[in-house]
Amino acid sequence: MSHTVLVCDDAIFMRTMISDILTQAGFEVVGEAETGMQAVEKYNQLKPDLVTMDIVMPDMGGIDAVREICRDHPDAKILMCSAMGQQALVVEAIQAGAKDFVVKPFQPSRVLEAVQRVLG
Amino acid sequence: MDQARYTALFLAESREHLGACNRLLLEWERDPSAREPVDGLFRAIHTVKGMAGTMGYGRLADLAHRAEHLLDSLRSGRVVATAGTVDLLLRAVDQLERGVEIAAADGDAQFDAGDLGEILTAAAESPAAVAPLVRKKGRRAPPAPDVEPPVREIGRVVQVEVRPGAIMRGARAYLALRRAEAFGAVTGVVPPPAAFEGDAFDGRFSFRLESEASDAEIVEAIRAAGEIDAVTIGADVMTTAEWQVPSAATGGVAARVEAAARSGQVRVDRRRLDALMNQVGELVVARNRLLELAQAEPGGELEALGTRISRLVSDLQSEIIQARMTPVWQVFDRFPRAVRDLARQLGKQVRFEMEGEGIELDRAILDEIGDPLLHVLRNAVDHGIESPEERVAAGKPAEGRVTLSATRERSSVAIRISDDGRGIDRTAILAKAKREGAAAADLETVSDDMLLKIIARPGFTTAEQLSSVSGRGVGIDVVLTRVRAHGGTAEIATEPGQGTTFTLRLPITLAILRALLARVGGERYLLPLSYVAETVEYDTQPVTAVQGREALVLRDQVIPTVHLRELLGVAPSELPLRRPGLVIEVGDRRSAVVVDALLGQQEVVVEPFEAPRGTPPLFSGATILADGTPALILDAAALV
Repeated sequence: MSHTVLVCDDAIFMRTMISDILTQAGFEVVGEAETGMQAVEKYNQLKPDLVTMDIVMPDMGGIDAVREICRDHPDAKILMCSAMGQQALVVEAIQAGAKDFVVKPFQPSRVLEAVQRVLG
Repeated sequence: MDQARYTALFLAESREHLGACNRLLLEWERDPSAREPVDGLFRAIHTVKGMAGTMGYGRLADLAHRAEHLLDSLRSGRVVATAGTVDLLLRAVDQLERGVEIAAADGDAQFDAGDLGEILTAAAESPAAVAPLVRKKGRRAPPAPDVEPPVREIGRVVQVEVRPGAIMRGARAYLALRRAEAFGAVTGVVPPPAAFEGDAFDGRFSFRLESEASDAEIVEAIRAAGEIDAVTIGADVMTTAEWQVPSAATGGVAARVEAAARSGQVRVDRRRLDALMNQVGELVVARNRLLELAQAEPGGELEALGTRISRLVSDLQSEIIQARMTPVWQVFDRFPRAVRDLARQLGKQVRFEMEGEGIELDRAILDEIGDPLLHVLRNAVDHGIESPEERVAAGKPAEGRVTLSATRERSSVAIRISDDGRGIDRTAILAKAKREGAAAADLETVSDDMLLKIIARPGFTTAEQLSSVSGRGVGIDVVLTRVRAHGGTAEIATEPGQGTTFTLRLPITLAILRALLARVGGERYLLPLSYVAETVEYDTQPVTAVQGREALVLRDQVIPTVHLRELLGVAPSELPLRRPGLVIEVGDRRSAVVVDALLGQQEVVVEPFEAPRGTPPLFSGATILADGTPALILDAAALV
């Protein structure tokens, strides 16, 4: 059975791209969220095997969402999607419980490597 | 991957975010103490940067990055906004907007923002004029402890080297550390994790790990953090005082936002909606034919089925129309910026207000009217609003007002642009019109309607109207042509010294029209039902004459008549005894249109219509009737 993924990003562009990369690699994107709040809600609802989480989102950012999710599900497998120059935020996300990160601009191979590490 | 699809998404979303930036910047300019605009700006620019980077538009991403850097500095209080900050950011947004278009069309190699990038960076790094605010809670990495912890000599020493080329080596090192922590207590991290984020961090660090696990297990787990070149266990390289690994963030309760945005929306290409609408249009035509056939056999099964299908098609049609509805703010959004810039450029003080931004219109109409509206707004600021000195001299407040409002009226939306400026100079317009032969030489006054007709003549300008701002490019004629092409109407009302109001009335949707089918001579014509106030029997109504024109007297009101036969040049022939007159209403103008016969009501699909040369300017479109024959749609505004 393929792994299920929840893709969280406020830009449709990014969601589409991540979804495409993951779908082509055989993952099943079961949900998308465009705010941190939605990410938490959808996580609780869908219990996906993997979450990709943007850091900067309206209505609760990605880091707070990671914190919320990991409080109830410490084993949640969350991959942070970060832009260049956000190292402090990535570190904070890791402290909050994120399992790995990828840096935009995305290269499909990098994303998939990170996903494998998280799921590994 | 489908590059074109990404490009389209990139373009649409970037435009949207940058449009929001313009709005937020103006909001911020009005209220410099507000935090939300800056946060919103940061998010929007950040998103654009991410998208540009992913598309491989390096120059664009770099500029966005520099703008974001400045916003971050402002947000965190490292830099304090000055008078020029909003202007600088507006410039950056302008350049980004330009860059987005260039990049989407042809890659961003041609994109050059000059020295704007350096200026932004310089602004972001200029020292704050006041003590910086405390950075947002939780934004920092944990501070290094100020007391040296006691040295502990337990466990194994682990050395890790992050690959030199890895992105965000510090964060990667952090991940490795977290993985090690899964095995047992980690102590004595060198350099301290707080230094991982520094520029000086070269990717090498070491720590002590207290664990029962085998070396191989530990090495494998740490390597699995990714981008790790080497993990060695055993060699003691602790040369400096040992530090305690900081405890992971305790995960304090995150600030909660009141309501989650449960939008559940999807973005659909307009062309797809158009295609869907066309299909439904075809379905409507087929349904009409079906209903005609069914009438031949009243009470039969075909009629029952026809009625059912008819209802289903109507529902489907209204659903699709709903899906096409878009709030007008999506177009209005860019106007405050344009008005502000123009007012500045002209040295005028203008307060711009918008109302009814939530009113919805068909997306196709909305996309078309953006430029015409902008033109009218520019006119209002350029020609309407006086200079502050002039206003004060006239006893008006120095600050002029321009209002853009949208209101729903029956089956149309009225968009009004009002200013409290000097009004249009009727005398000057009339004189000019006479010189050009557009008005009779003996005409002494001009009504508002007449005025609009004069200024709407292609190429019409008065000398003083010519300015660098709105004298060029589209004229009022283009505005009116666009509006009328969509079945809309325009009106103008102007009062010397009081100001001018432009009213554009637009149908809510344009794809499907409810119309009355009328016969004139051997042809059939359609008149949009939304303009028909009532039908009367022309021959039974008292006829009078007003200013040499025939008119009907209907309930004490005088309504000019329009004989379509004459307008269409149909040869006089035996006329039916009783002819219907359609009383049409456009704004507050009315007329009674006399036709040979009324054939009923139909829903028709409006087809694009290019009038052949020599066609009288009476038509706004064409359609195919239920029986498959073509018919022209009358332009109500041309008949009043």
